[in-house]
Amino acid sequence: MTDVSETPKHRASLGRQVLPYAMLTPAVLVTLAIVFLPMLQTAWMSLHDYVLFRPDDFTWVGLDNFKAALGDEVFWISLKHTIIWMCTTIPAQLLLGLVTALLLNQEFPWRPVARALIIIPWALPSVVIALMWVWIYDSNYGIANEFLLRMGLIQQAIPWLADPDTALASIILTLTWQGFPFFAVMILAGLQSIPQSYYEAASIDGASAWRQFWHITLPGISGVMMTAVLLRMIWVANSFDVIFVMTGGGPGYASHTLPLYAFIKARTNLDFGYGSAIAVLFTLLLMVVVVFYLKRTGKAVS
Amino acid sequence: MKFKTLTGIASTLALCAGMANADSTVRFWYHFDNADNPMDALVAAFEEANPDITVEAENIPWNSYYDQLYTAVIGGNAPDAAMVKMFAQPRLVEMGALAPIDDWLAEWDGADGLQDNLIKLTRGPDGQQYYLPVQYVVLYLYYRTDMFEELGLSVPTTCEEFRETAKALTRDTDGDGQTDVYGFGFRGAKGGHDHWASFTLGAEGVSLTEGLTSEAGVAGTQFVADLFQEDGVFPPSAPNDGFQEIIGAFKAGKTAMTIHHIGSANGMVEALGDKVSAAPVPECGGGRWTAFGDESTAVLSSAEDPEAAWKWITFLSSEGNNTMFNEATGQLPVVKADSEGWTLHPQRFVQATVDSLPFAEMLPNSSATADFVNTVWPTNMQRVLTGDIEPAEMNAKIEELFAE
Repeated sequence: MTDVSETPKHRASLGRQVLPYAMLTPAVLVTLAIVFLPMLQTAWMSLHDYVLFRPDDFTWVGLDNFKAALGDEVFWISLKHTIIWMCTTIPAQLLLGLVTALLLNQEFPWRPVARALIIIPWALPSVVIALMWVWIYDSNYGIANEFLLRMGLIQQAIPWLADPDTALASIILTLTWQGFPFFAVMILAGLQSIPQSYYEAASIDGASAWRQFWHITLPGISGVMMTAVLLRMIWVANSFDVIFVMTGGGPGYASHTLPLYAFIKARTNLDFGYGSAIAVLFTLLLMVVVVFYLKRTGKAVS
Repeated sequence: MKFKTLTGIASTLALCAGMANADSTVRFWYHFDNADNPMDALVAAFEEANPDITVEAENIPWNSYYDQLYTAVIGGNAPDAAMVKMFAQPRLVEMGALAPIDDWLAEWDGADGLQDNLIKLTRGPDGQQYYLPVQYVVLYLYYRTDMFEELGLSVPTTCEEFRETAKALTRDTDGDGQTDVYGFGFRGAKGGHDHWASFTLGAEGVSLTEGLTSEAGVAGTQFVADLFQEDGVFPPSAPNDGFQEIIGAFKAGKTAMTIHHIGSANGMVEALGDKVSAAPVPECGGGRWTAFGDESTAVLSSAEDPEAAWKWITFLSSEGNNTMFNEATGQLPVVKADSEGWTLHPQRFVQATVDSLPFAEMLPNSSATADFVNTVWPTNMQRVLTGDIEPAEMNAKIEELFAE
C-alpha cells in the first residue's frame, strides 16, 4: 500500500528536479557552442602569431601580441575614444530616455501613437541609421549644415565627419538618437509599476513635484534603470557598426574605438592573432567596468 | 530473386539518370557598381551553350569584397571562380587559394585574341599564370570644359600648372561668401591612393618600394597636403570622400576636376553632356604616374569542378561576351576584336585612356599591397590632411610596410 502511494510522489519530485536541467540544456549547449567556444578560440589565437593569409603559420608567441598592443599608439588612441564613447553616449541616452519616458507617462491625446513612434530609431537597422546620418552630416548637401547656416549659427559648412575634432562627437550624437528609445521604453515600464497611491499620499503631505520625483519616481525605477544601463553599457561598448559605416574609424584614427580596431586588424588586415589580443584586452577591461558598476549600483539600489 | 534483379535494374537506371543530370555548378563572385547589370544575360547565354553547367553569379559589395573573399577562402566556403584585381594576387597565391591556369591557357584558342601583353602583365609572383584578364582601365584627369573656358584656363600638364588651375577654379560663384566650387575632388578615403600616387610617384627614383622618404618622395605628399590645407582646393570633406562622393560632387558641379577612369565616363556625360572632358594626369616631379586599373577572373583552387569554372571565365573573356561584360562595368574590353568595334564611350575618354597607357603602372606585386590599399594609405593620408602627422611620417610608414 505504502509503495503504491510513495512511487508517484517520488517520481514527481524527481521530475521536478530534472525538468529545469532538461529544459535549460539546449540553451546552454547552444550558448556554449556559439559564445564560449569562439571566446576560448579568441583567447587561444591571441597567444599566437596568426595571419589569415598564411594559414599554415600558427606560431606560439605567448604574450607578445599583448605587449605589442600596449606599446601600440593606436591601441591607446582607441582606448581613449572608447572611454569617451561610453561615458558620453550612455548618460546622454539615459537622460534623453528618462525625459521621454516621463513625458510619455503623462496623459495627452494620441499618446499611444507617440509611444509607437518613439521606438522607430531603435527599430531601424544600424546600417540604415548610419547611412541616413552620413547624409544629414554631408558638408555639401547635408541638412545639418543647411539648417545651421540658415539659422546663422555657422558661417561655413562644417565637414562633420571629415574633421577629427567633430567626427567622434557626431557619431555619438547619432548613437544617442538610436539608443534613447530603449531607455524610454524600459523606464516607461518601470514608471507604470509605481502605484498611483504613493503620489496621492505624497501630495496630501504637501510634497512638491520635484520631491515626488526624487523620493518616489527615482527609487521606483532605479532597478529598471540599473539593468538598462548595464545592458546598454555592454552593447554600446561593443557596437562599432555605426562607426564603421559612417567613418570607417577615420579620418585617421579620429573615431577608432577598441572593438573597431580589433575588427579592422582581424578582418581587413587579416591579422587574427593581434586582433584577438586587442579583443581579449578589451573584454577584460569591460569586465572590470561591469563588475565595478554592479557592485556600486547593487549597493545603491538595495 | 526476381525482385532483387528488378531492384538492381531500377537502381542502375536511376544512377544513369542521375549521372546524365550530374550538372556542375559554378559559384562566381563579382562586383559591379552598376545596379542594373546584365550578368543574368551572360549567365543565360553561357548556360544555353553549356547545358550541363549552372552558374550562380553573386554580386558582392565592393567595399567588403576582399574581406569577404579572404574569409570565405579560409572558412572553406570560397566561390569556384571570382573577379580579382592584381593587388590581391600575392596574398591569394600565398594562401594557396588560386588554381594555375597555364595548361588550360595553352590549349585555349581565345588567348591570342586578347590585347597584347595583358597575360604577361597579370602573371603571378611565382611565375605561374592564375589570372585571366577580363577588363582594364587607366586613370586620367576629368575636367569641366565649361569652367575652364569661362576662366580662360588650359588643361594643366604639370603639377605647378595644376595647382594654379585648381586655385583659379576654387571660387564662390553665387556671392554668398561660401566657396561652392572646388578645384579638385580628392579621394581621401579607401581607394584614393591613385590620386596621391599621381602627385607623388611620378618623381624620378620614387616608387612605393623605394625613394619614398627621399626629398622628392616627401615633396609629393607635401604637395597634396598643401593643396588641401593651404590652398583649400579640395572640398572640406575630402579626407572621408570615397568613390561615390568624388563622382557625385563632380557631376553636381561642386568640383571642377577629379581623377577616375573611363568607367564613370558615361555617367558623367549623362549628367554634364559636353561640359566634361578628359586628359592624362599632370606631370609631377619630372615624370608621370597613373594607375593601370586591372580586373581579371580566376579559378579558385577549391573549385568543385575547375574545368567548368575555367569554361565560365573564358566565356567572359571571349569575343562578344567581353563587350557585354564591359557594357555593365563601363570599362574597356580585353579582347582585341571587341576593342575595335568599341562605341560604348565617347571618343575623348577612350583617347585619354590610350594617351595615358604609356606611363600607366600597377601597384607592387607584394602581399603588403593589400594593407597599403586598405588601411595604411587611407589612415595616414587622412592624418596628413587633418594635420595630425607630417607628410614625411606618412611616407616613412608606407616605406616601412613594403620593407617588411
